[in-house]
Order: sequence, then C-alpha cells, then structure tokens
Amino acid sequence: MNDMSWTPLGPSQPAPQPPPMPVAFSGDRKAFFRLVARGAGLELVTVGFYRFWLTTDIRRHLWSNTVIDGDGAEYTGRGKELLIGFLVALAILVPIYLGYTLLGVEAEHLQAFASLPMVAFFYLFGQFAIYRARRYRLTRTVWRGLRFWMSGSGWVYALKASLWGLLVVITLGFALPWREAALERYKMRHTYYGDLQGSFEGRGWDFFKRGWWLWLLMPFALVTVFGPFAYAAFKAVEWRWWLSGIRFGEVRLESTLSRGALIGLYWKVIGWILLLFIVFAAYVMLCIFLVASMDGTSIATFFKTEAFAKSIPLIVLLGIGYLAYALAINVVMRVYLMRDLWVRVLSSIIVHNIEAAADVTARGELANALGEGFADGLDVGGF
Amino acid sequence: MEFDSGETSSAAPPLPGAVLFDGRSNRRRNVTLRLSDALEIRQDGEPALRWGFHDIRRADSPSGLLRLSCLTAPALARLEVRDPAMIAALVARCDRLEQDLPNRKGVAAIVGWSLAAAVSIVLVVLFGVPLAAERLTPLVPDSFERRLGDVAEAQVKVIFAGKPCSNAAGQAAFAKLVGKLRDSAGLDNSVLSGVLATPVPNAFALPGGKVYLFDGLLEKAENPDEIAGVLAHELGHLRHRDSMRELIHNGGTSFLIGLLFGDVTGSGALIFASRSLVTSSYSRDAETNADTFAIETMHKLGRPAKPMGELMFRVTGKEGGKGLSLVSSHPLTEDRLARMDKADAGNRPSGPPLLSSAEWQALKGICGSGKGKV
Repeated sequence: MNDMSWTPLGPSQPAPQPPPMPVAFSGDRKAFFRLVARGAGLELVTVGFYRFWLTTDIRRHLWSNTVIDGDGAEYTGRGKELLIGFLVALAILVPIYLGYTLLGVEAEHLQAFASLPMVAFFYLFGQFAIYRARRYRLTRTVWRGLRFWMSGSGWVYALKASLWGLLVVITLGFALPWREAALERYKMRHTYYGDLQGSFEGRGWDFFKRGWWLWLLMPFALVTVFGPFAYAAFKAVEWRWWLSGIRFGEVRLESTLSRGALIGLYWKVIGWILLLFIVFAAYVMLCIFLVASMDGTSIATFFKTEAFAKSIPLIVLLGIGYLAYALAINVVMRVYLMRDLWVRVLSSIIVHNIEAAADVTARGELANALGEGFADGLDVGGF
Repeated sequence: MEFDSGETSSAAPPLPGAVLFDGRSNRRRNVTLRLSDALEIRQDGEPALRWGFHDIRRADSPSGLLRLSCLTAPALARLEVRDPAMIAALVARCDRLEQDLPNRKGVAAIVGWSLAAAVSIVLVVLFGVPLAAERLTPLVPDSFERRLGDVAEAQVKVIFAGKPCSNAAGQAAFAKLVGKLRDSAGLDNSVLSGVLATPVPNAFALPGGKVYLFDGLLEKAENPDEIAGVLAHELGHLRHRDSMRELIHNGGTSFLIGLLFGDVTGSGALIFASRSLVTSSYSRDAETNADTFAIETMHKLGRPAKPMGELMFRVTGKEGGKGLSLVSSHPLTEDRLARMDKADAGNRPSGPPLLSSAEWQALKGICGSGKGKV
C-alpha cells in the first residue's frame, strides 16, 4: 500500500505527478492495527465511553489516507461532537421509551399484541437516525478544501425506507434491489459536493440481474457452510452496483469489484474468531485446573460439588479472559471488515471525467451529530 | 486529469512550492512560500496571504505531506506542503501546530471523565435507584398497577397453563384463611386470591393486589400454618408493593448499566452479569422484608412462623453449597428457616388453629382430584 503514498518532491517540481489510479489508499496497515488495538484497550478502561473517539480516529485514518485524483480527503468530525450528540439523543429517547412502555401496557390491556405497531415506530425512528447520521458524516468529509453536505428530510427518508421495507418483507426479499435503488436515489439527489449536486443512476433491475441467484440460494446458504460465501458475494455485488451508480454532476464513478473479492476477508474473520475461541477455551481450562489444584481438590470433585461456580478467584480470572477475548474480536473485525474492506473496495474504483470537479464553489453548512447519537442509542449505526 | 500547473509564475525565484485550497472553491492553486515573521503565501509572484505562525494548525493528511489550516482563514482553507525542509522549518516555527488535534492529554481527560461517570453511575445504581423506587412507588396510581397485574396474570396463566380451582368447600376454606390473614395484616378486601391447578410448588403476588397459590405447593403442605405463612409472605409483598418497586428498580438499573457499556461488542455478558448481581441483591432484601411481615402477621394470629420455613425447606432442600448465592433472588432457605425458628422462640403459639381439620382437608382438595368433588 505504501507505494501509493507521496514521496516528497524537490523545489524544482512545483506540480506533483498524479498517481496512476484516481483513487488510492496510502494508509499503513500496522498503524491502523495499533490505532484499533489501543482503542480497544481504552474502550475497556473507560467502560465503553471511548467509542466516540475511537470511531472518530478510525474515520480520520480512513478518510485522510483515501487519495482521489492525487489529493487526500479529510475527516473533520471530533469525538466530543459524537458524545454530545449521544447525550442529547439520550435525553430525547428516554422519555420516548418511558411513554412507549406505558402505552404498551395500555395497548396490551385492550388486546394482546396491540403494542406491535409501536415497534414499527422504532423502525421508522431508526431509519431517520441513519439518514441524519449520514448527514453528519458527509458534512465532516472534506476534499480539496470543500465539504460535502446534504439536504432532504430525514422523516421523508424514514417513511420511504419503511414502506419499501414492508414491501421487501411481503415479497420475501425480492424487492430488495428496488428498495435500495429508490433509497439511494433519494440520498444521492440530496447530496452535494460544494455546489455540485449528486445523483444515483443505478437501477434495481441491474442489481437484481447480478444477484438473483444469491437470492434463490439464500435459504440454503443460511443453514450451511456456504453462508459466508453467499454473504460475501452479495456484499461485493451490492458494493459494485452502488458505486457504479454514483454521480456528482458530470463526474461518474465505476467499480470493477469481482464477486469473489470479499470472500477471503469474511473467512479470515471467521478463522480468527475460531482461533481466539480455542485460545479462550484453553485459558478457561487452565484457570479451572490452577484454581482446583490450589484448593487441593481433584477436578472431578471440583465439578461435582459445583464449587467452581462459587470460587471468586476463578470468576475474576474468567472475567478478565472473557474481556480480553471480546476485545481481540473487536480488533479483528475492525482490521478486516473496516480497513481491509475499505481498501479492497477503494482499489476497485475508477473515476471518470474528474475534470468536471475541478472548479467547484463551496456551499453547505455543518450538521449536528444528533443523528449519530440516535443511531448509537437505537443500535442502527453504520460506519 | 488536469492540473492548472501552467499558472505558476516563471518570474518567481525557486522558492519551495506548495498547493493552496482557499476554502471557497476547490481550485488547486500552486503557490510559493516565504517565511518571515509570518508565513507568506505568494501566488504568481504576488503576496496573496499572510498566516501568523500562532494561528497555524495541522490538519489530517495522507503520509508524506504536511497539511495546514489557519484560524484567520476560512475554516476549510488548506495549504499542502511536500518539501521536507519546508515542513521542518514550519514545524519549528508554528508553536501551536498540534493544539487542536486529539493528543495524550485529551485521552487522559477522556479516561478521567469516563471513570468519574462510571463511578457516578455505579453510585446511582447502588443508592439512587433504590431510593427512587422507594419514593416513586407510592406515586404510581393503583389503577395503573392493577393494569400491570392484569397483563402479568394473563401471561402467567399461559406459561403455567393453570386453571383456577373452584371446588366449593375448598374455596370456602381458602377464603376463610385469606380473610383471617388479611384482617391481621391490615389489608383491605381489594386483595384477590386463588389457587391454580399447576404442579409447580410455588406461590406469588402480582401488582395490583393478586395472590396466587399453586396446587403443587398445597400438595406438599402438611398443616394450615405452612400455607398461612406462605400466603402471609405474599401479602407482605403486596403490602410493600414489591412488584412495582422491583419494576422501577430493575428498569432503572438495566438502563444505567446498559448506558455504561454501550454497544461495545461482547459487552452483553458483562451487562447481564452486573445487572443480575444488583437486582438479585435488591430482590433478596424484599424477600427478607416479606418474611418479617409474615412472621409478624402469624404471631398476631397467635400462630408460629416456622412451619412456613419447614414447607419451603421441604420444597427446595438445603440450598447452601449449591449454585452461586450472590445472584440468587431469594435468601437461602435454611437461613430463612433458622430466622423463623428464632423468632418463634419468644412467642408460644396461643391462638386457635386457623382452619379446622375438615376445612384443611377441603382446602387440600380444592383442585378436585375426585374425592373433593360433589
């Protein structure tokens, strides 16, 4: 990856040579690993509060090393904004949850399962959060001294997403490509880079043509070892279709991602998780053996008398081991499914007609992080 | 791929080059830099901008270049320097270069504040939430509590598939027993009670004043005092409105502990463990209080409390040494039995039996296994 990075130029060369590819990634994998490993440790120490700053650092790393037409992007969001967004979202969500509970009791009193439509309300709210969180991220994305920004209404989007979601459920997933196309059209139509308006030209039918066999295979794949293959292929098809549909004015994106491009990544994650589990299991056995031998009881009686469930040192040891296990899985997922996935998808992108974005005027204001807070509170967050 | 590189001035001396984005448009401007008492940015040989060294800040960039912003320039104006000598000179002069970037001091502050927040949440869970449950429970209207009870009742009946037992003689005996206990405990007659035909040996109180006894417990009972003690215990829960208090307490605790760990992957087990620890401790306190209430009620009727403990001991056996007592929702049965035994020591049973032996037999047959039926 490092061969994509800039070599310092002498004073006699005022204009740098553009790299051979319009989109490249210049980040160091080891640096990213250090970042997420340190972040996981800090998340543990701060009982999770560090997540706002870790998310920010991950985005800063990925954004600033993404080089488009020779110029690196920049992420200008800060962890503090996410924290404030989360706290404000909490202040709004808590009364809503309370009201939801009281209403639920009243509805169930009238008729069993009458509270089900209220779940739909939370789905709607989640979609709203997704739209607003995207808006926050976009207004913190800067390239060549200009930010991206977004107009449109989160509630209109939420309504569209929910109605299309209903259709997808009714058609057992058949309508998914058209749902994604419609939602993406709405999002991109309201997305701007300076005064350059975005649009989305991907059609649901094209997505369907590339992925219909996966749709047929899904019920089979869900219960077999083919699941990860099918999922990885689906994600690759989705990425390629989505990227190839993106337009900004006359600028056109194209992706050449192959169907099998992501399969290795998902299997590596599964492999690491299995390996970590084996290590964790070995650690558990070792702890039990150690504690039992300190007690002077044999392993068999240790289990028979259920003494293992009462031994405080053992519980503490297991707790520490479990935490280390969970943190290691976090690191693995972030390295493979965030950084490596990002790099692999980026390297498939070709930008056509980038000259059309050579003289764009700044426009658009910053959006607040409330949407990110809702997404965190409702557990629907994307990146 | 075009760069407007042709615009660089040929007349300018060979000063270190840089690229400027002025934050108003995304045009790439090739500029030259000069260091005096401030950073002079020249375009086409003409001085265009002056950035004071104090105001210059570093912005994120790909490796190999220095990207700068300036407090006095538009927020997104960026100057990109690639010449190593120039980078070194700028880093040496701009004393507040890294001020706005997250740094070690910032991380220490985050850790410090997070720990403070964690400590305050733990304190609120341990002291604030029980206090809130205590103070809020009397404010909850009875009608709402009754509604909760109705919902819970429907669920319980589904889970245990129990039908209410309605043998007439048994009903009369049961009503007499409950009536005596209720009067002695000072509860009004809004308390509803019944026996459910379920083999599980248990009894429970629902919010809004409902007490249910399972037939399974009746079968294991050997005398009326045993059942009376259990019913008195459940009336104690009603009297203290324990269901409502535990609802508020558990809701608050779950929320706060969930807040602590957030969405860190793998935190589910931690949340579950710490929540069980806190809520079960609260529940054990409520059980102990209900036992106190049962002992007092039985003594007021001139009957011993120990039979209740004996009945429970018959059901659960010795509990110590089994499982993890820290996350158990009830105190150990043998401890409860010992406590009731001790309480009885000063009080000789002086009152008349609560039920005659005929009534006791009728109660035992309330779920009508043939012989009680008319």
